Amino acid sequence: MNPITRDERRWFLRCLAFGLYEYLGAVAPPIPVEGLLKHPPALYQDDFGVVDMYSTLWDATFARPPNRPGSVFVRIDLPPDERRLALARELLSALITSRHGRAIGLVEFLMPDLKESGEYFARHLLAPEPLLEAYRRRGGEEEGVAEAFGLPDASARLRWKESAALL
Amino acid sequence: MSMQALNRLVARSIIDPSVLQAFGAGRISDVLADLNFSSDIRRSLSGLQAESWSEFAVQAYRMVQAAEQPVVRIQLPSPVEGLLNEGRTDQEQVA
Repeated sequence: MNPITRDERRWFLRCLAFGLYEYLGAVAPPIPVEGLLKHPPALYQDDFGVVDMYSTLWDATFARPPNRPGSVFVRIDLPPDERRLALARELLSALITSRHGRAIGLVEFLMPDLKESGEYFARHLLAPEPLLEAYRRRGGEEEGVAEAFGLPDASARLRWKESAALL
Repeated sequence: MSMQALNRLVARSIIDPSVLQAFGAGRISDVLADLNFSSDIRRSLSGLQAESWSEFAVQAYRMVQAAEQPVVRIQLPSPVEGLLNEGRTDQEQVA
């Protein structure tokens, strides 16, 4: 097979984020990403979790300690919007390395560009296209996306641009 | 239409193990039958060979995208065009 392109990878990531959004059944933002990690679908029972950490090295990182479920280790003092984004970003690592994710073949597809993929996935999970469309229909504008969806401002603006490009 | 169906299928595969099970057992056509693919696309997708579900998904994306893109006709100038004078001087035509 020809190598996957950036556009194809992004399409694939949007589908993954949409699958989780549909699972959550959220009808309005903010998307409860921490709830998803703490109460995951049965398929990911041993792969998702959240552990608060005192750290100055990173905002969040996913790890799978030996003989223990995987967890996102997140800095305890992050502002709420940054915490949500970091958790959503690391959720992709949890998915990729999960039993189901490995069976699907996510490792080969997404590991090489993990950082960019994680950030793109996080923006689309926290601001799903149907909710962003509804926000736009109600007259919502770029300036209000961060507050409405609980995203850091830079990520919200990027997500707004991505949505416009998909129209 | 088929792209929407494919989006739903790939989205479903991340939380529904039955999609992967059907793919692994060579019965993906059973899953495709429940989705709103055109009959041509469904037939083509059923025949796709891939080593993993992710690879299948991307191959399917390429196939559906190609099928749904409008055919671009190459606009060649009419052969008559070069014979028309259209106010050019002889000097310009020689140049």
